[in-house]
Formats: sequence, structure tokens, C-alpha cells
Amino acid sequence: MAERKTKKETAPKKETTAAVKKQAPKKAAIGEQPEAKKEARVGVFICHCGTNIAGSMDINAVQEYSKSIPNVAYVDNYKYMCSMPGQAVIDKAIKDNKLTGVVVAACSPRLHEPTFRTATKEGGLNPFKFEMANIREQNSWVHMHDPEGATDKAKDAIRIAVAKASLLEDLFPKSVPVERAAMVVGAGVAGMQAALDLANAGIKTYLVEKTPTIGGRMSQLDKTFPTLDCSQCILTPKMVDVGRSENIELMTYCDVESVEGYIGNFDVTIRKKARGVLTPKEAEARGIVGGGCNGCGDCEAVCPVVQPNTFEEGMKPRKAIYIQHPQVVPLIYTIDKESCIKCDLCVKICGDEKRAIDLNQEDEFVKVKVGTAILATGYDIFPIENKTEWGYKRYENVITSLEFERLICASGPTGGHMVRPSDGVAPKKVAFLLCAGSRDNTGIGKPYCSRFCCMYSLKHAHQLIEKMPGCQPYIFYMDIRSFGKMYEEFYYRIQDEGAKFIRGRVSNILEDPATKNLMVYADDTLLDRPMKLEVDLVVLAAAVQPAADTNRTRKLFGVSCSMDGWLLEAHPKLNPCGTTTAGVFLAGACQGPKDIPDTVASAEGAASAASIPIHTGHVELEPYFAQCIEEKCAGCGMCVNLCPYTALALVEKDGRKVMQVTEAKCKGCGTCGGFCPGGAIWMNHFATPQIVAQIDAFLLGGEQ
Amino acid sequence: MAKIKGYPEALEAKLRDRYMYGDDAHPEFTDSVEKISMTIPHMCYQCGTCTASCPSAPRSSYRIRKFVRRVVLGLETEALTDPDLWLCTTCYSCTDRCPRDIAPTDVIMAMRNLAFKRDIIPVNFLKTVQAIYTTGHGVPNNDVNRAARVKLGMDADPPTTHTYKEFIPGIQKILDYYKLKANADRIVKEREG
Repeated sequence: MAERKTKKETAPKKETTAAVKKQAPKKAAIGEQPEAKKEARVGVFICHCGTNIAGSMDINAVQEYSKSIPNVAYVDNYKYMCSMPGQAVIDKAIKDNKLTGVVVAACSPRLHEPTFRTATKEGGLNPFKFEMANIREQNSWVHMHDPEGATDKAKDAIRIAVAKASLLEDLFPKSVPVERAAMVVGAGVAGMQAALDLANAGIKTYLVEKTPTIGGRMSQLDKTFPTLDCSQCILTPKMVDVGRSENIELMTYCDVESVEGYIGNFDVTIRKKARGVLTPKEAEARGIVGGGCNGCGDCEAVCPVVQPNTFEEGMKPRKAIYIQHPQVVPLIYTIDKESCIKCDLCVKICGDEKRAIDLNQEDEFVKVKVGTAILATGYDIFPIENKTEWGYKRYENVITSLEFERLICASGPTGGHMVRPSDGVAPKKVAFLLCAGSRDNTGIGKPYCSRFCCMYSLKHAHQLIEKMPGCQPYIFYMDIRSFGKMYEEFYYRIQDEGAKFIRGRVSNILEDPATKNLMVYADDTLLDRPMKLEVDLVVLAAAVQPAADTNRTRKLFGVSCSMDGWLLEAHPKLNPCGTTTAGVFLAGACQGPKDIPDTVASAEGAASAASIPIHTGHVELEPYFAQCIEEKCAGCGMCVNLCPYTALALVEKDGRKVMQVTEAKCKGCGTCGGFCPGGAIWMNHFATPQIVAQIDAFLLGGEQ
Repeated sequence: MAKIKGYPEALEAKLRDRYMYGDDAHPEFTDSVEKISMTIPHMCYQCGTCTASCPSAPRSSYRIRKFVRRVVLGLETEALTDPDLWLCTTCYSCTDRCPRDIAPTDVIMAMRNLAFKRDIIPVNFLKTVQAIYTTGHGVPNNDVNRAARVKLGMDADPPTTHTYKEFIPGIQKILDYYKLKANADRIVKEREG
């Protein structure tokens, strides 16, 4: 407080910006602004935000102080600056007082910068002649109990903003055309839904899937909560639609290899992994008319190599030439190159007519151009064996919920007969462990809630009660999170059906080596009694984590991730499908754990967002890009590698090398501008003289 | 030595095996409580509204939520031998407020019935039975009460079996039919000699 008071006394008196102007190197080379600039006349508008701001500081004192700041020609305040009358105040003041710049002291620019830019434009100025001073989020809200300090801080913030506003320049957003095509990466239910929506909106869509079939996690599930419809039954019509859509180019068994370009113009290279089997189209391209794989399965019958089927979580065998399940789309076999012994038996049985199998096929690369892209890379199950206390992979009868899904599924390895792995006997007592690896701050598990485990475990309990009368499910839980529509009702139903709920996290499990039964240790916290329960089978509702390849894919598209690896949305509430890279969107669980309804909703949101630039035909980019002052550029090229958006390049110009900015790719982050040893990079709207003026205004308190 | 009297026993009790095992659970106990009480304790989600509403809870160790939990888990002996079972005042506040629409009071009453079948019942409850048998009242009129009634301008005795003693044999017939009196006499005799 003492420090604050002294600063308060050093009120600004002298012209500061004039001095700054003198030392500021004018970017004459860029040459947009004349050297002789007319006197800056800045208007300051202070917002009360009801009592949000006015309740924590002295608005009148701030207003009086603002009048004394150099270059300030007009000061006003209003209860809600963002309201229509508030904006009209700005509009009128610009015209009446011939203002050259506007400062609004209000909330965060993330909230209302666009509003006040528009108001500035209405007043007849270039919208970029506006600067915001945040006196709410970074001031009144955090200094609620220190009105004096808050008032002083608001004065500082306004003085700094005026210093910048005095030097701001007219800027003009760039418009770039948008390619009329989109890409969706990942063909689970999210990717399929997004691709279908885009295709139905008339947009050519490339649907890229790394595995040989579309369908994703949802196709592995038996039933879906809370409606209990069969997962495959509701999913396969969508799979068929995707396979048949004229606007969708399905690229299964493909990886995204590289991404270049920017919103509207992404050049994506796709690696078509060698399948070893030709589609009818590919066969025709090789001159084998009427050939290619028709999915007859003769090859599979003769193949001598047996491998675990990953779709069945390894609980069923498959051959080296395989399809994952009978409903795959496209129905084309794939050869597992790792295990194929090239015995040629499949080639022979496939015959001379189809000639679908090419054991020596190589990976191919395909380039496509798209305007926008959606990432729908989904999730994996967390390696729950890392939580050793529950004995997964050590005890045969401890399984994951995904394994449970396959075991209870009629098309699964046991034909839907629920048996335990050790002896193939139907279990009589089954323990479900919720939050297995979720809500775990040990560093081994995941700190977040995996969000759908409560509900599918309820569903599992229902399936046991329904299919196997006399079988008793025990659900060990910490909280039951049945948040969705009809979810609480589903919870009620399962409890009514007889599932036993035990509020307590299982501490550890021990196996009886003779019977392979499991001793489950927990605390019934509701009864305040430790529990030792012998069960036949334990199902771990394991935490989920981003799918294996997520990190590589996100880096290709320049998308950030949060601490736990989930892809980062532009705003968690107001822009959940967008990312900080323009033109790249997120669908489904790659953004965070989601159940099927939320996944589909998010996919439709992403598709809608991704179609907007395509339908508009062009995008306007913020003019905050870097510019090279070629006279000063030494052509060292050190900035090129620093740029996180690959927006910079060295080019030949008049016989020497200079840096060139691809304006549409530049985000104006300032990395290059801050680094350039020759000061040859001019950052629009964050130019060195503007920032120096702000620093001076703060440090000198307006004095020289 | 005399100083530590009672401590070894208390320690022994503290150190006994407190695990709840799978075979402690008797699903048939849950079923019979549901049948007698005609309510749905298995739907309890243990929110605690019942205990919070209970006038006994802040004055005793009686926790109705825990009794309902024992019913759900089928912990018959633990529930029926707990003396707290008899601390319910049957005020029905919990029943009024239960969000899952269970009648916890009736669950307690059902367990009292089951306990009585095992001769588990406090003697004061049996004395109430005996009082009803002889007078038709659980709490019969007494001299203090009579004086108060007269002072207030009422008859010394209320217009019940106290006034119409001829109806007492009818009440006795009902209690005899259920062997309530005989059982009460037997148990009181066993306990008090």
C-alpha cells in the first residue's frame, strides 16, 4: 500500500508520448504511415459494469485522473459501456471531439474487444485504433477488498492504454479464399457423424482412419446406456451411409503424414498404408477389370498364421489376413505385415480373376487440399495394469470394461455367454470397480473423471442381472455421476433391479490361487466398516486417455493440448469445437472424455463450425501479422525455425535473401519480432514503439 | 489392578474382527423387511436426510441411515441386536422427507417385529404390553394426572377403558390371540426372575 501511495503522487504531467515518438524508429520501409503524424486525440471511456467495477473503485477519481493524461481529449463514464447507449457515447464522442484513438476501460478484451472495435468503426475511425484497459478481471474482481489500490491500478492501466492508443495505426484485415473441401481425421462415431454432416451440406469430405475399418470404439460396445439399444445396430446404418456417401472419400488404413498451409488452404499428405489387398478400384487401375477384394474370406480360411484380434481385445484369434469383424466398412481384407510369412496361400486361393492380393504392396502418399479440418481421434483405455493393487494382467479374472463389453456381446468371442477367463464358468458374484485409475493424483492414474464409466458400469450390472438370474453385481463407487438425460432414472432402475452399491474405493485385490476367486478389500464408508468380499470376477472401469497417436496428429495440425493430453478447445464454454489454429476443429472424445450423445453433439457442432468458412468462401484474418522490414533484414533466417506456425520463409529478392511472411499463417505471436537481432520485423498492432510507449507510461508514471 | 477394571474388556472389543464378509449378507432378511414394511429400503441412496430429520439422532447413537444400509446389505444380526433399534420415536419425520419415497420408520418397525421373534426387546416395551393387557393403556392414568384433570374441570378418568372397564376383556382377547401377553410375561420373568 505504501508503495502504491508514492506512485499515486507521481502523477503524469509532461508529454511522454512525444518523446517516445522521437525515439521510435518509424517503419518507413513498410511505408504505410506518413512520418508526420497528426496530434493524437484519445478518448477514454470508463465502464462501471454495474457494480462489478464501480463497486470496487472510485470511478470519479479515475475519470479526473484520466483527464490529466497526455493526449487525452475526452473522458466519459457509463454504467454499461457495452450496451447500445454506451456504444453510442463512444460513437458521438469520436465525431464531436475529432478523436484519433479510443480507450475503453472495462472488462477483458476476450469479452468485448469486438464490440468496441465496431463502436470505434461506427464513429468513423479504423477499428484497430482502439485499445482496451482491463479494469475488471485483472483489477476490480481480484482487488475487491482494496478499493484504493484498485483505483490506483485502474489509473495505471488507463495511462498505459492511452500511451498505446496514441501510436496505433490503421490496419486492414486480409481476406483469403477457402477450398471447398474438408478433412475429418478419425472415423469413430464422432468422425463419421462430422463427415456425414459435412457431406450432406454439399462439402467434399476426406475421412481418414488409421485402422482398416470405420466404426471406432462404439462398434466394440454391446449395448448403449440408458436406452439399452444395441450399439452395432444403431451404428452400422451410419457406417453404411458413410461408405455410400458420394461426398465422402473414405481413406481407411491411412495416416496423416504432413499438413501445410492455413485456414482455407491446407495441403495434407496422407500415407496410404500398404494393405496388401487391392480394392476393386485399385485393381481396375492396375488393369485387372472386375478384380479386387470382394470380402469372400477364402484367403482367411487358408492363412496359417494366428494372431490375437485387437477388436476383440485379444480374446479371439484372427489370421494374418483379416477383417476385424463381420460388419466392417469397407469390406476389404487387410494383411498384417508384421506377422505375414508370405506363404502365398492366400494369393493362390484368391485366384487369377480377382488377383486382389499383392504381398509386396508399398505405402503410397496422396496429397489433398482442404479448407478446414476436424480432428476426431478419440480415446484409448488407460493401461490399468499400472495400478498394480488391482492385479490386472496378474489375476486372470480381473478384466477391463471393454473386455466385458466383448464378452457380453452376442457377436463377441464367447457368443455373448458371460464367462470368467480362468475356467470358462459363469460368475455368480461380480465386482465393478469405478474410478479405476480416474480421479487419481498419484501420477500413475489420471486426475480427471472419465465421465462415462458410472453409466456403462450400471449398464453392465443390468446386463448381468438380465442375462444371468442369480448373479449378484456389486458396484464399488465413490460417487455415481448420472448427469445426462434419463441417466438418473437409469441409475434408479438398476438399483431397483438389485445391483448392490458400495460406497468405497477398492484398496486392493488378492487372488485365491486354488479357486482363482478374488478377495476385494474396501471400506463401506456408509456403514463405516471395512469389507472383504469374495467374488468370481472383477471388472475395472478403467480410466480413458487420448488415443495413442493423438500427440503426433495434433502437432501436424498445430493444435495445443491440455496438461493431461486432451486436445485444447479455443474456449471451454463458448468455443468448445474450435481450436487456437484457425480452420481446425475438434469432435468427440479427443477433446475430453465424452459419452455417445455428447460425442455426436460435439461432432455436429464441429461439422457446423467447419462448414462456415467453406460456405462463406473466404475468411478474414486478424491483421496482427509480422512484416519484414527488408532494408534491415540480414537474411540470417534464424526466425524461420522459431516460428511455431511455419509462416516464415527466406526468399531471394533483388539478389539477396530476405525473410517473407505468409500473412494468412502468421498468428502475430511475436516470437520472431522479439528475437530478430536486427530489429527487422514489425509486429502489426504490437510494434516496438507502441510497446515501448506502454512500458514508459507504466515505469515513469507519465514522467520523463 | 482395580484401576484398570473394564479396560481389557473394552480393548478386546475394539480389537475384534470387524470385517464385513460376503457371507454376512442375508438377502432373505432384506426381503422379509421389505415384505413386512411394505416399503423399498433397497432404493436408499444414503443421502442422510432421515438421520438429519431424526429427533433421536442428536441425543443418542441411533442412526436410521445406518439401519437402512444394514437392511440393504442383509446384515441381520448386526441390525437386530443393536439396542439403538428401539430408540426410534416413530415420529415419521424421516418418512415425510425421504427423497426416494422410502418409509424408513416402517423399516424400523419391521425390524422390531423380526427382533421380537428372537425375543430381542427391551423390558420397558414388554411392561407396556402388560399395562395394556391389564388397563387397556400403555401409560395408565395415575393420581397426579387425575388431580390435574379434576382441576381442569374434567372427569378424573378419560372415557376409555379406565371408565368402561367392561371393554378390557376384548383387548385381552386380541393380545392373547397373538400371544403377546404370554410372551411378554415369559420374557420379563426370564430377565427379572
